[in-house]
Amino acid sequence: MRDRILTLATLILATLAIYGLTQMEGSGSLVSALTLVFIWSIAAISLNLINGQLGILSLGHHGFMMIGGYLTALLMLPEKERSPFRTRLLSDWARENLDLNRWLEALGLGFLAQSTDAKFVIALILAGLAAALVGLIVGIPSLRLKGDYLAIVTFGFGEIIRLLPNAPEVARFTNGPLGIKGVPGDAGTLWWTFAVFLITLWFFSRLKFSSYGRAFEGIREDEIAAEAMGVNLAYHKVLAFSISAFFAGVAGGLYASYLQSVDTQTFNFFVTFFLLVAISLGGLGSITGAVLGTAIVLLVRIYGGFLEEPRPAYVALFAISGLMILAFAFSVYIRRARHLRPVIEPKHLIFLGTGVGLMLLTLAFFSTPFVQQEVQFFGMRKILLAVLLILIMIYRREGIMGRSEFSWKLLFGPREDIPTEEQRKQDAWLTNPELNPDAGKGNNGAS
Amino acid sequence: MRVPITTRGTLFVVLAVFFLLVGWRIQALPDYTLARVVQDFLNALTLGSLYALIALGYTMVYGIIRLINFAHGEIFMLGAYFAFFAMVLTPLPLALALLTTLLLGGTALLVTRSLFNLESPKKTAGLAFPLLVGIFVLLGFRQLGWIEALFLSMIATAVSGVLLELVAYRPLRGAPRESMLITAIAASFFLQNMGQLVFGPYVKGFNPETVLNRPLSFRIGPEEVYFTGVLLVVPLITGLLLLLLNFFVTRTRLGKAMRATAQDAEVAQMMGVNVHQVIALTFFIGSTLAAAAGVMYAIRFGQIHPLMGLLPGIKAFAAAVIGGIGSLPGAVLGGLLLGFIEIYVVSLFPTLSAYKDVFAFVLLILILLFRPSGLIGEDLTEKV
Repeated sequence: MRDRILTLATLILATLAIYGLTQMEGSGSLVSALTLVFIWSIAAISLNLINGQLGILSLGHHGFMMIGGYLTALLMLPEKERSPFRTRLLSDWARENLDLNRWLEALGLGFLAQSTDAKFVIALILAGLAAALVGLIVGIPSLRLKGDYLAIVTFGFGEIIRLLPNAPEVARFTNGPLGIKGVPGDAGTLWWTFAVFLITLWFFSRLKFSSYGRAFEGIREDEIAAEAMGVNLAYHKVLAFSISAFFAGVAGGLYASYLQSVDTQTFNFFVTFFLLVAISLGGLGSITGAVLGTAIVLLVRIYGGFLEEPRPAYVALFAISGLMILAFAFSVYIRRARHLRPVIEPKHLIFLGTGVGLMLLTLAFFSTPFVQQEVQFFGMRKILLAVLLILIMIYRREGIMGRSEFSWKLLFGPREDIPTEEQRKQDAWLTNPELNPDAGKGNNGAS
Repeated sequence: MRVPITTRGTLFVVLAVFFLLVGWRIQALPDYTLARVVQDFLNALTLGSLYALIALGYTMVYGIIRLINFAHGEIFMLGAYFAFFAMVLTPLPLALALLTTLLLGGTALLVTRSLFNLESPKKTAGLAFPLLVGIFVLLGFRQLGWIEALFLSMIATAVSGVLLELVAYRPLRGAPRESMLITAIAASFFLQNMGQLVFGPYVKGFNPETVLNRPLSFRIGPEEVYFTGVLLVVPLITGLLLLLLNFFVTRTRLGKAMRATAQDAEVAQMMGVNVHQVIALTFFIGSTLAAAAGVMYAIRFGQIHPLMGLLPGIKAFAAAVIGGIGSLPGAVLGGLLLGFIEIYVVSLFPTLSAYKDVFAFVLLILILLFRPSGLIGEDLTEKV
């Protein structure tokens, strides 16, 4: 009861906060950052279903997102953006028929075409279904494989999906390398993504604790044991794959609407990599962890721009050498805590020496033009993400949350389970053989 | 290496289908003359041997620690860049040359110290002295040609490969294979972006002054076949490196240790093999081959780029899987096959040329689905 009230209160507060944010002047960057967090969280949660809960490494998520993105963009493209001038490579057939308005009118649902929001609901569901269908097609043959072979096959499928829109035959439907521009941005707003995010969160948390979710986790722990317990491996794997692809497609559609355009570079392998960093950081197998990880990683990506600004080289040199010395201190701390001996190995000293040497060299040549010049580190954020992922894999493979979920119990403690002083006395009486002659004889202490 | 009969049968069928298709298509195309056949053959052989060289690195690493080294394509890129800088920046000022020598040679020695059983100081000095002097002389006095640059780059790239293993992969020994794969992907991204940061995100020309670049031609009937020395040298160097590798793996103690580790690391360790060293050695050799491939690829296509390792790397990986990952002849076969398919498909079916890069993936998926052990690979079915 307490938990439900807390959840409801949080929801209301979040809604109010978002309402306030959208009304506030000059909150544009915050709004778009939050929108991105919601969109990428949907994708991360869906990837987490395969990579975390099912325990299968899938590297083709960008392909599913791309399908959703393209389909949403095409279906929603307004009439004036469809002119042959704007979409040069699109075939006439695609230009006329890949239009949600036409479909709705053909079905006699023309009144729905009046509202962009209603159209977006339909388009996003269709995008998800298309992605899920492709997920099914990809999943049925490839899920027979295991481990890194499966990872490579999903990677291969993802890359094929990414490379295809450039080919001239497929470009008739995708406008090739030119991409599709002028997609309406209605679904890329904060309200929309928040709503879809909530639905996703609700769906996946229900799924995780359902019999299906238990079956997925059983497959992750031991396929053979799960099969022996009556879990149909192929069915559950393909099911998880399709569900995941569905939400990836929806996330792709939202992202296309957010960007108001989509092209072949929008969903490249970096997208999957980025999601992988997010869910590894949050904790593979944890839904709330995926959201947390996405938020942290996006924080680096959006507000890490200062890392790439031009600045004098000595700042960078000092930062690098300082980080090396800090890393040395950190490793000493870790090795101490883990009781590793010797605490300091020669290679650590070499590392420390390089850091100190770099710092001293910088100081010694401080006034030279080489040290004073302006430098700019393009791509520093991506490098940071890659380093972060390697560090997670080496030092904390379970991420922040592990496999556990956020719950109110985690914050406020399990209220019902805290024994009162009286209960504890009773327990002591029950288990203490001096006070209770029946202790240790059978069903004691169970009450 | 012994090739089982059934495998030989598969191989025969694959080659027969390939040649039948090519033959049928050639007689259907009227303007496809003998000259073009020869031209395509030369191009395909060169491209295939480059893929084969890269694929060897993938296959060796996978054979020994069951890790798909995603960063291998970036090692290949590093090889090309090291050679580029070796050619452009030399002759270095002597002080700088000395510093570079000490840094590069020192790291190389540190990394290889245990690798080649150089525990005795005398032996180490015996290797160190010529190595350091050699690097210093190369760097300090004149502008390097591509052969010397290739040599230097092979050393520097091998050191980078071993460092990558030390920093990123060694701490994960014994971790789940998925974690190792994720780390490898991260390492690949790290090197790509580091390459863009350090080398600049632009395309650089790579045209060393050699006889190899001079256009040559010969006549077949009425038409001429154009080629450069590179087209002939690449397969030759590849063949030479393969012979060396084969000799090393089959005839030396370290090669034996390597095969033993690939078969069963735990038992090999019990028999006195230093498994960590052997794994580092595998990375060393794989990176050397990748560097050679990188330099020759750069000469062949005349330019280098920080993302140049992406596609060849993935294709070479596909080649390794097609041949049978873990098997050395398989990697060579897969590389050559992929090179030939890529060139001939584009040449014989011009309408399909837009799907050039998709073929590698389609082939990869087909092989993985229907014959996961590859054309001539060992059976990798996991047992309970």
